[in-house]
Amino acid sequence: MKFYLTIAATTLVLSSCYKQSIADSMLGVTSIKQTTTATLSYEINGNPVSISVKDADHQLAGSPTLYCEKSGGYILSGISSFGEIVFTFHTDSLIVGNYKYTSYYGPMYVTSFEGKPQYVYNPGDNMNFTVTSYTDGHISGNFSGQLTPAISPGYPDNIYGTPGSVIIKNGSFNNVPVFY
Amino acid sequence: MGKGSLTAFLVFFLMLQANAQIGAMKLVGNNTKDYSMGFGAFIKTGVPVSDAADITMELSANIFPLKGYGMDYGTIMCPLVAGYRYTLNGTGQGLYIEPQIGYSLVGITSLPNDGNDIDLKYHGVVLAGGTGYLFTIGSAPFDLNLRYETVIAHGGSNNFISLGISRFISFGKRDTNY
Repeated sequence: MKFYLTIAATTLVLSSCYKQSIADSMLGVTSIKQTTTATLSYEINGNPVSISVKDADHQLAGSPTLYCEKSGGYILSGISSFGEIVFTFHTDSLIVGNYKYTSYYGPMYVTSFEGKPQYVYNPGDNMNFTVTSYTDGHISGNFSGQLTPAISPGYPDNIYGTPGSVIIKNGSFNNVPVFY
Repeated sequence: MGKGSLTAFLVFFLMLQANAQIGAMKLVGNNTKDYSMGFGAFIKTGVPVSDAADITMELSANIFPLKGYGMDYGTIMCPLVAGYRYTLNGTGQGLYIEPQIGYSLVGITSLPNDGNDIDLKYHGVVLAGGTGYLFTIGSAPFDLNLRYETVIAHGGSNNFISLGISRFISFGKRDTNY
């Protein structure tokens, strides 16, 4: 009995040594172009926000939902039911690493919340993005931030509300396509 | 997943209607991280051949959805396998081990591909090895099992681990039918 069981177990193990799945084998791995789902999520003052885009590499031209585009720097943009979130990586060449910006260079619009635009404005405000991977034209990472609401947007200057009263935490983004 | 999927879903539905049991399973191996936990229905029956052992037959329908696409894409397989189930205490109850071999009657993998979906259909040899526990509730025999299964076709293999429980259908009785 042990002999037959050993033969069966060995056969099973060896049969699993095929490196490819059946689908990969039938098509050839390199010819399969599986689509990518891009996601972005965070909490803003405890309210969860989530964006998920199937086939993120082929979003509607002119109105993509979640993407990063090289335009000056690299602008990450996502649109959810809460509104948009925008973050600019101020670099000519986006690489894995940390990108943290304070109000040192002036007000920086990030998102809208409760009907008001939210800025990096006051000392202590910041947006802190970390790109943990950038492979095959897609970035993933995490982020957090502290913002100040503009309670009366106007020109040339906004009137701002309670400094640092809007907190973004548990932010993450995965497989966001980078467009050039 | 097209007509093939419809057929597989029909098989799955009929098996549920036939009091088949369900199991949870996970594809393992290269390029399987994009698959969610799978699920399946299976009917298992057997004939005692000794105090300790049964020859078993099992038909199952296993579905592995691709993450992020609901049930639109994924892999479906319907293997029919025969096995030799050997109980370690020699009573036909309790802990057992069971090698199985068979054939995948239906194999379909549907993948998204730039708007032109890929539907692959295949059949192949099935090898499986597992362990489980046989017990009875009242007079109904049950089979709680964990197994590793591989379907081989076109030079590749789909491998998965499954955990299931089934109400075992036995033909024949021990001590009289072998």
